[in-house]
Amino acid sequence: MKNDTCKSQILLVLSCMFFLICAFCIVREADAHKVNIFAYAEEGTVHSESYFVDGSACKNSRIEVFDEKAGTRFLEGKTDEDGKFSFKIPKATSLKLVLHASMGHQNEYTLGEDEVIEAMGDKRNQKQNKEPAKSSSQPAKISVKTQRENLAGNVVASVGRSMSESEMEDVVEIVIDRKLKPVMGILVRLKENSEKPSLTEIIGGIGYIVGLMGLIMYLKSRRSTRNER
Amino acid sequence: MHISEGVLSAPVLVAGALLTVGGTALGLKKMDYDDIPEVAVLSSAFFIASLIHVPIGPSSVHLIINGLVGLLLGWMAFPSILVALALQALLFQFGGFTTLGVNTFNMAAPAIIVYYLLNLPVRKGNHLLTVISGFAAGALGVGVGALLVALTLVSTGESFFNVAKLTVVVHLPVMVVEGIITAFCVTFLKRVKPEMLEVRR
Repeated sequence: MKNDTCKSQILLVLSCMFFLICAFCIVREADAHKVNIFAYAEEGTVHSESYFVDGSACKNSRIEVFDEKAGTRFLEGKTDEDGKFSFKIPKATSLKLVLHASMGHQNEYTLGEDEVIEAMGDKRNQKQNKEPAKSSSQPAKISVKTQRENLAGNVVASVGRSMSESEMEDVVEIVIDRKLKPVMGILVRLKENSEKPSLTEIIGGIGYIVGLMGLIMYLKSRRSTRNER
Repeated sequence: MHISEGVLSAPVLVAGALLTVGGTALGLKKMDYDDIPEVAVLSSAFFIASLIHVPIGPSSVHLIINGLVGLLLGWMAFPSILVALALQALLFQFGGFTTLGVNTFNMAAPAIIVYYLLNLPVRKGNHLLTVISGFAAGALGVGVGALLVALTLVSTGESFFNVAKLTVVVHLPVMVVEGIITAFCVTFLKRVKPEMLEVRR
């Protein structure tokens, strides 16, 4: 009997030790056995960021880009020192980015078709906007010079007359891009943090183990009492 | 050293799962009523150890403590590590459920090796031998684990030598740290509670 209490005391001490260790270490730190990849499309280019679960960048890791539906591979590349990798959108479809980090670490991110088409759409719209401008200018026989003057004196023109739709779009886009840049950074960081194990999950996991222990002990004790009968 | 989902081919996954099922069955058979709390505590310890990273060396890696688990549990290391890895996959998305079998085998098999090689010297040896064997147990658990992971990754077409070099070099600091931790644990246990080192065969 004395042995049993001694054993349980030691178990208690051991578990306390590990709780202390986790309290000290886990909250700040994590490790590198899970990789994450996050990507977004913008102006015809896909930007991706890869990082380990502790937030450190995956350097020189291979990224493959697939057509999510057809499964064909478009291209592959390597991340830079900051874990970033960018490429031109190869096709207007949903893209699957597969990150291969060293030692069997792998993860993927799928970029939805809508997002890709929208990012490509920016380009197309710009082209469309430019083409009508040219075609309309030719029949009207406005000289190239006046066209340039119009573009150069954008501000003057906009003050003088109401802005055309395409100009407005361009200006709004530039401003929005500038405003959204820090927000994108925050989002990426938020996602990074949400991938880290939280204290709730850690304690929950230990709870599961303790619960499992109780369950197995209960079942075993029932079996042994039944055998005694 | 958690291999992610989608890296390995089906035959490797099935083989790993079968080996783990066998090891777990054997471990459960050897597990007595009195062993259950010990198995659970070491399972919790293994579960948490993966979150403690060792910031030394070329890459950030984490503690594994499969050497200590093997030394104290023997074959019961299989169920213990299986439960911990399942919860890590569930809660932290480390590894994955399809690779659970392979990952468990890669971590539990070194634990069994450690048990057969070093449990006796740790128990019967003098103080110095206990310390040395404890250190060896910690280092061997991680080292053999790294080699097994490399061997598993060979099936993906990578050359064994390159992967093994990488996994072992990256885990050298962990081997040292775990050696120290394990040596400390076993000397402490031997002084306070030597029965805990005895494992039912």
